Amino acid sequence: MSPKEERNVVLETRHIAKQFPKVLANDDISITLYEGEILSLLGENGAGKSTLMNVLYGLYKPTSGKILLHGEEVEFSSPRDAISKGLGMVHQHFMLVDTLTVTENIILGAEPGRGGVIDYKKAREQVVAIAKKYGLRVDPDETIENLSVGLQQRVEILKALYRNAKILILDEPTAVLTPQEVDELFEVVKTLRNSGVSVIIITHKLEEVMEISDRCYILRRGRQEGERLTRGATKAELANLMVGRDVVLTVAKTPHTVAKDPIMQLEHVTVLNEKKVQALKDCSLDIHPGEIVGIAGVDGNGQSELAEVIMGLIPVESGRIMHEGEDVAKLSTRQRIFKNISYVPADRQEFGLVLPMTIAENIAIGYHEKMPYCRGLSLDYSYINRHAEELVASFDIRTSSALAPAGTLSGGNQQKVILAREFSREPTFLLVSQPTRGLDVGAIEYIHSQILAMRDRNVGILLISMELEEIFALADRIMVMYEGKIVKELDPEKTDEKEVGLYMTGGNA
Amino acid sequence: MVEKTRTTPVIAAGLALLVFFGGWFVVTGHGWGHLLILAAWGGYLVSAWLGIRKGSSAAPFHTPLLTSIMILLAVYGIVLYLGSYFWGAFLIIAALGVYALEKGLKDGKEILKESLKASLKNLMIPFFGFFSALIIGVFIMLATGYDPIESYAALFYGGLVKNWSVSILNATPLIFTGLSIAFAFQAGLFNIGAEGQYYVGAMAATFFGLYLNLPPLLTILLIILISGALAAAWNFVPALLKVKTGAHEVITTMMLAHTARYLSPVFIRTFGGDPATSTHAYVTDPILETSFLPRFKGFLPDTNYRLHIGILIAIGVALFVHYLLFKTRIGFEIRAVGQNPNAARAQGISIGKNIFRALLFAGFLAGLSGVVQVLGLDHKLFLNLSGGYGWNGISVALLAANNPIGVIFTALIWGILDAGGQYMIRVTDTPNSIVEIIKGIVLFLIVARYIYVYLGNRIKRRSLRRIEAKNAAGGRA
Repeated sequence: MSPKEERNVVLETRHIAKQFPKVLANDDISITLYEGEILSLLGENGAGKSTLMNVLYGLYKPTSGKILLHGEEVEFSSPRDAISKGLGMVHQHFMLVDTLTVTENIILGAEPGRGGVIDYKKAREQVVAIAKKYGLRVDPDETIENLSVGLQQRVEILKALYRNAKILILDEPTAVLTPQEVDELFEVVKTLRNSGVSVIIITHKLEEVMEISDRCYILRRGRQEGERLTRGATKAELANLMVGRDVVLTVAKTPHTVAKDPIMQLEHVTVLNEKKVQALKDCSLDIHPGEIVGIAGVDGNGQSELAEVIMGLIPVESGRIMHEGEDVAKLSTRQRIFKNISYVPADRQEFGLVLPMTIAENIAIGYHEKMPYCRGLSLDYSYINRHAEELVASFDIRTSSALAPAGTLSGGNQQKVILAREFSREPTFLLVSQPTRGLDVGAIEYIHSQILAMRDRNVGILLISMELEEIFALADRIMVMYEGKIVKELDPEKTDEKEVGLYMTGGNA
Repeated sequence: MVEKTRTTPVIAAGLALLVFFGGWFVVTGHGWGHLLILAAWGGYLVSAWLGIRKGSSAAPFHTPLLTSIMILLAVYGIVLYLGSYFWGAFLIIAALGVYALEKGLKDGKEILKESLKASLKNLMIPFFGFFSALIIGVFIMLATGYDPIESYAALFYGGLVKNWSVSILNATPLIFTGLSIAFAFQAGLFNIGAEGQYYVGAMAATFFGLYLNLPPLLTILLIILISGALAAAWNFVPALLKVKTGAHEVITTMMLAHTARYLSPVFIRTFGGDPATSTHAYVTDPILETSFLPRFKGFLPDTNYRLHIGILIAIGVALFVHYLLFKTRIGFEIRAVGQNPNAARAQGISIGKNIFRALLFAGFLAGLSGVVQVLGLDHKLFLNLSGGYGWNGISVALLAANNPIGVIFTALIWGILDAGGQYMIRVTDTPNSIVEIIKGIVLFLIVARYIYVYLGNRIKRRSLRRIEAKNAAGGRA
């Protein structure tokens, strides 16, 4: 990397402030982007990263401050302006038309050709040429719905490049990707940098900042907390700047005695998925009270089926599921919940919460047919609301009231509502899937310490996670899953991420 | 309100029976029924007082006292008002006053003020939508050459005063079908075939009304329950198909609606409507008088002869549906399934079971609409009995945002507009289509709620920007 002074400034913001009706989302932000660098914008959820990028992209008008492009002051009144000046943005949620092909999606809104007639042949050639130039392999004739998430993201990047983007903004680009896809994305980003594109990555993941970026700015509560060259910085330093206090990146784990008899045993469980293909193959597993068993694996290798079959959401094809020595494989989900089997699902908004319902109702759901939640046919709302108020306080859920709809909470607080519900039910066995996906450092710390506290209260815990860091931070035993099978059991003390990663991808049997 | 003072279930059931029979005797013209209601009131107060003395209830005595007075005032006021005794409005206002007093005593003035503000705010959009529609109606009438003042005067005089009883008769079946559709909507299901369930209810009520000869109260209760159950059963196949194969209820209930609709001529032929012998083709024989619903005339002599107590049943059922949806386990499960089936399932709630519950009960409610129409108003079944109540129920439910209490009011508005429109075309030259246009605009303006959210945000943003500009200018100066 050449020293700073020699490089051209591409984009600059000067004292940007953005006031929303109730919050000051950006307060005096001045950042500089140099040509051909990868810049990270690091901050917790709600720190103002996305607001700043939306200001840059012309979606929001700044309340005050200036944007300078190549030293000239510019004012974008819409994304169209920003695009014409060479900015491109890849949103967290892709803006693609599922039923159209890759080429059609890329040219959409900037179709080549004369009048109303689109020159598809030319379009396809251009797309292929750009893909080749930046090393972004993708079939130009495939429809979007047939592509994996990683490839869809690639199409989004191509879309920006097709419009001659020289500055590319990626909003939380790895949130939806598998570890391999993350690696591939990083390769692509590096290729882009080397061919002169400047990249801004918005993220709250420290590892990514360390791995990919040259420089980073840290935002907290709408203010700029600092600027660091990645080479000289440490994770702990960045985390402290980000959260504003000392953060424990890995929660201390005390040794804990494990009971001898397992609380939950899977015996040769086989499960078919919707397409009648074996998603779990002869899976055997036992979890003892007081231990955390971590399931490591690339997404889509049977983890979701494992969780669903334990909760009775899909039927077992063969095998037994033993809870406290009793086969629960034929019981309904409700009966399993009443046997103190608790579940923190991976997708908290889709499977964990009923967003329009109140926090109190979301805490009651599942137990709403039990005393004291109901009296006869009626629900006892005075108990339900009082109970929820207590849990809101003890789990530090940030909300105005337990009667607020769950959908009004931030992601971290939504997850806390689920934890409050499941952990307060005194589970004997706890199934935790992706508990910190998309959450910021502070929330992760809290949730990890809560899970460890449950372990120390002699709960048997099965942790499913795509984040190896999380597995290593929490698990007492690591089980690696690959194509529906448990391929290897490892001791976290005696292995490393590299070895686990190897088994995760089917290597080294 | 009442939940703080707990009466034992036996006493509560006894008091409820007392009120029920008291009410029945009153509506069948036996004035001493009022005494039973008063006795029940006294009994309730005594049991509440004893409960407080024994310490099983923490509430002060004025809570049950004021609450029960409020309920009595409201019920008598509403019944009088519905029977065109418009001074009943004073009782309703008094009931509201007692309610405010009770809430003020319990929670303090601040909370009372806030809840008042919140309820006014909730009413704003409907009112705004309604008045905007009326104003647009003025322009339409001016453009087409009719006198808007004269027309509206006739419309509202007709709907609210002159033909008030017709408004209520229009609203009664709409409340039931509106409730049916709103209830299914809460479970995420669209019971578009309410019209069919209406016909099934009406046919069943006619059949049993022709043959069931028991004491009146028993006859009516039996007919309501059995006919309602048959209408519910009409939705069994759609529910089954939905659960087993995922077939969409919009298609299946709609098809069965047409089936029921075109079964009715066959039914009518079988039970009296023979064009060869009868003077009226396509009309069944009238049902037995034991199954007639009591009329308001029986206890309020100055009211319209046709007005029957179906409206009271409808309001009672609406209150019950509200309780079922928002206060019970069943309603909780139905709402959870409607709002996020995946999360509901992960918490052990059966989706299939709740689809059955929702569609069958929706069928029951729509069936009641037909039952009440036959037992109360027509006393026989004829072709084209329904004035599209099943279809109009969709508008009524949408307008009420699927809230059961809201359905009462939106159905009344529809009823008033229909009755007023009929009066308007009799006394002015304005065609009835103006009323239909206004209905359409009301629906559009109220259902498209997001328009107001959008406008509200824009106004807020603009005023904020103005303040900012002022501040910035002040800062520089």
